[in-house]
Amino acid sequence: MNSNNLKRAFFTASLTGLLLSADPVLATQTHGQPEGLYVHQMAHIFFIISMGSLDFWLRQRNLIKEKGWKYIQLSAVLFILWNIDAALVHFLDEHLDILGITKIELWHIRVESIQGQNSISILYYLLKLDHLLCVPAMFFLYYGLKTILNNSTADDGNRVNP
Amino acid sequence: MIISSIPILIVDLIGSILMIILSLLSLRLVFKLREQDRDNLIWTYLWWICLALSCFAVSRSAGHILKNFLLMTGQEAFWAKVRPFSGAINTSMFFVVGAVTLFFERIWVIYQLIRKDRQALQAAHKELLFLNQNLERLVEKRTNALSVSEYKYRRIFEVSKDMILVTEKDGTIINLNPSGYDLLGLDRETDKIESRNAREFMAEPEKWSNAIASVQRERSISNVELDIITSDGTVKRILLSGSMAESSGNEKETIHFLVKDIEQRKRMEEQLAQADKLASIGELSSGVAHEINNPLGVMLGYTQLLLRGEKKSSERYADLKTIEKHVRSCKTIVEDLLSFSRKSETEKEMLDIHQIIDDVITFVQHHSNIGHISLEKDYNPDVKQLLIDEKKIKQVLINLVVNAIHAVGKNGQIWISTDLSEHTGDLMVKVRDDGHGIEKKHLKNIFDPFFTTKPTGEGTGLGLSVSYGIIKNHGGHIYVDSKTGVGTTFTVTLPAV
Repeated sequence: MNSNNLKRAFFTASLTGLLLSADPVLATQTHGQPEGLYVHQMAHIFFIISMGSLDFWLRQRNLIKEKGWKYIQLSAVLFILWNIDAALVHFLDEHLDILGITKIELWHIRVESIQGQNSISILYYLLKLDHLLCVPAMFFLYYGLKTILNNSTADDGNRVNP
Repeated sequence: MIISSIPILIVDLIGSILMIILSLLSLRLVFKLREQDRDNLIWTYLWWICLALSCFAVSRSAGHILKNFLLMTGQEAFWAKVRPFSGAINTSMFFVVGAVTLFFERIWVIYQLIRKDRQALQAAHKELLFLNQNLERLVEKRTNALSVSEYKYRRIFEVSKDMILVTEKDGTIINLNPSGYDLLGLDRETDKIESRNAREFMAEPEKWSNAIASVQRERSISNVELDIITSDGTVKRILLSGSMAESSGNEKETIHFLVKDIEQRKRMEEQLAQADKLASIGELSSGVAHEINNPLGVMLGYTQLLLRGEKKSSERYADLKTIEKHVRSCKTIVEDLLSFSRKSETEKEMLDIHQIIDDVITFVQHHSNIGHISLEKDYNPDVKQLLIDEKKIKQVLINLVVNAIHAVGKNGQIWISTDLSEHTGDLMVKVRDDGHGIEKKHLKNIFDPFFTTKPTGEGTGLGLSVSYGIIKNHGGHIYVDSKTGVGTTFTVTLPAV
């Protein structure tokens, strides 16, 4: 028996021993309740960053001098504000134990601050009206696209917009 | 605090519906944009953003509407089941929108590059199309422009008063302009100059070789003085400038020469120098002659006085006669010097020059042994009377004719002609002979007083000097053209009245 065969026999024996003596382990990580919320909040932050970068490049490339792209830039800014608003609501709803929100009946809710500060309750109430930000954002996107389309048609296809 | 949830519900519900509507409308617009130009990367990019935003808006808004509906209808348990799915889709859409948006800058840069390339391609295509459509016209236009240019430069070559010579590097002639033919005394029709070497026309070939070498070494030369030999053997002085012409393609390098005929100018300069020199000598001669003339007069007077008292047969009488003869000879020289220096008196009157020439010829025929010499005259009948001193002009003409007789020897020909100058209208009298001619080295001295090529005692060397002085005194000029072995021509010009 040469040295190579000896090495091979030693390796096989060691591996067999190792496998036979294994204890149960948690091979796959579990994903509990708060993880989804974290991912959602991260998605908001990512959304903010991407819209911020869009705003930055539109300025950088001087595209905001053209009306259509100017509206799209406004849309990006409003989407950033909406994301901040939504992330803040999620934060108040899920992370901090400073607010107690209870549905009293169909058309009323009770918002109670732990410290008894009504200002936080009012802020929470206003932040819940987030569609007041995202609808204008979507509108400016629509209007910007419409302006670009009109300009593009007026240029008879010769001038590529932007 | 208890707050009404109606505003929240209404804003949520209406907002969600509006989000769906606006996102779908936006999608429709981008779709139209994309349809307009499917190759436009930006429209494609906007299409993806809108698609992602629409999915996000629909998923979120649909989720909100469903949530409100289920909560209002008391189906909280069902909503609890649906909620994770709605939230997950929502979150995913956030990432999709964010991810797509982040690519904006790169997409924009790529789009600009594509656009630039496309514009360049379009411009090239447009130009090609234009060229294709107008090729014939453009070629015609360019050909015309070339013809005009060629004609212009051909005209410069043809009408130049200076000789333009194009040669190969070794001096082989490629082209010669008409002025060049004229300068060399060649005929354009009969004399084929091409492929001959310019060296053949140079009086000093070494100088020409040096000039060619300088052009090749320094790429150009300017104002080099050379002598050329014309077809009739006349040597002319020229000013040579030349430069190497860059060859294009397979063409050989050539040398372009500009040749100026400076013979006339040089002659004028020489004549001016000669005139200055003679004027100076004249001043000197005049001073000397005046100083000598009076003592000579006294010597002659006393000699003649002494002669009266002597017998003609005596030895003393013979000695005094010798003194008288030499004093008279000296006086003649002094008078000639005064004539040369233009200090002697002139008596001008209106006379017929032809009559004067005839008198001179008759005089010479009677007083000189002309033997077999043929004397021909050629008068221009348009010549009118001139204001001249008969005696002095006769003296000039006698000098010239006698010189011509001496030059031709026993057998020869002499021509005397008159003509009018084309430019000034002045009279020109030419005395030409076919004698031995005057050597070039003597030409510049022939009007100098006491200059003579004759043996001592045969000439005083004052004949031409006196003639020069007389003609100058009449406001005219006297020139000489001579070539050894061919003959000499003296030209006298006298101003017309």
